[in-house]
Amino acid sequence: MKERGLSWLTLTRMYLRSFLLQASWNFEKLQNLGFFYLILPGLHSLYGDELPEEVCRRHGGYFNTHPCFAPLVAATVLRLEARSLAGEDLAVDVETYKSMVMAPFAAMGDALFWGGIRPLAALIGLLVASQGSLWAPVVFLVLFNLPHLVLRGGGLLLGHMQGLNAIETVQKCRLPDLAIRLKESTTILIGILCAYLSYKGCEHQSLSVVWGFVLLPVVLLFAWMAHKGVTSLFLVLLTTSSLLLLALLF
Amino acid sequence: MVAGDYLLAGLVAMLTGLDRVALVQAMISRPLVAAPLTGWLLGNPMIGLEIGMLLELLWLGRLPVGAAIPPDDTQVAVGATVLALSVGPLLGLHGMPMVILAVLVAIPLGKFGQVFDRLARHVNDRLAVSGENALLAGSTRGMERNHLFGLASFALASLATALVIVLVGSFILYEAAPFLIGAVREAGLSLQYSLVLVGAASLLGTINVNRSISLFCAAFTGTLLVLWLG
Repeated sequence: MKERGLSWLTLTRMYLRSFLLQASWNFEKLQNLGFFYLILPGLHSLYGDELPEEVCRRHGGYFNTHPCFAPLVAATVLRLEARSLAGEDLAVDVETYKSMVMAPFAAMGDALFWGGIRPLAALIGLLVASQGSLWAPVVFLVLFNLPHLVLRGGGLLLGHMQGLNAIETVQKCRLPDLAIRLKESTTILIGILCAYLSYKGCEHQSLSVVWGFVLLPVVLLFAWMAHKGVTSLFLVLLTTSSLLLLALLF
Repeated sequence: MVAGDYLLAGLVAMLTGLDRVALVQAMISRPLVAAPLTGWLLGNPMIGLEIGMLLELLWLGRLPVGAAIPPDDTQVAVGATVLALSVGPLLGLHGMPMVILAVLVAIPLGKFGQVFDRLARHVNDRLAVSGENALLAGSTRGMERNHLFGLASFALASLATALVIVLVGSFILYEAAPFLIGAVREAGLSLQYSLVLVGAASLLGTINVNRSISLFCAAFTGTLLVLWLG
């Protein structure tokens, strides 16, 4: 039997549905309904309107990965379903594939998007905002969403076209290394932002810029405290109450 | 602000709140976007931009991963903007001091967001069970309905958080602002910068990369020297 493919319309519907992956995020099974919702147009294309109970059981259970990688996983899963339906012997069955890839993709996506792209885009946006420009939110949104939307769409197509080989293609992209480079760039931008604020502060108080260097150990101390688990809320309360107290006393 | 403005702010609170986890995640939920958006809809985008700048970095290092629920900086941003634009004029306070007061009042109230968010996810536990049962009964429509109902629980959680911040925040501001405004004016720029710097330090402390301290120190020193000598 010939393997059935998915139409462009089905792929487009899956792409749009991927934006609702976490609509019913829950503590018990995390993205279970979301994943089923995402692959449903594809399952209907393969099995028709009445889905076999076995298929519902297979895809209704626990699922959790990074939202940007979910379309890639979904498209690959559907490719495996199509091959299995065509009577091919699969090297890896659908359930094993899902359980094998969701955690690594989750970790990769978290590091790349939440740890890399988002902070970098936010810092660039902040530097624009520090000039009083209302373009700052736009800059931030564009910088974050370009890779975000491309990866969702690209992942869907990659999984659809390459099936299991998509994993190899993703590996070749060396995304964890990219995440590290982005984090390093973010660190540099934090330094630039702090120095700029320090300079503006000295300028405003008519102090020599040399005093600006005093801020370096202060920021490092707070960073160390944050690293040790002290919350941002505590640090905010500590600094603001100290500054308000000083203002009231002097 | 008139009733229509509060309604608009409520809609923004729900829309941006949905963006945090449930819908798209295009980052309109980040304070740098949510606050100017709220300010723009209420007639003063610059106030929103200033609030967004103060809040953006504070919890940026807290990753929305798995079951971890960071404080709701989205509703802190929306709520603080509403507070600055609604309570400020009534007390005769404007500009940066009012922005700082609104932000300082809204930040601790963001903890309520974690409570409401957790509640929404527990409501979704029931939807997940119900959706799975519908699926096994052969009703994919029933599953889809349960899945999409989850949006309502997240939207209501966001609205509840924004309401708490605006209502409790207004009360605190009416009581405390007259006593604090003098000190806030005195400390003005230091307070403004300290919030951004605490955010930067928190992000630096949570960024998980080798050489982060040396890269930060080199960038800081280099930039300050360039600005000084330039």
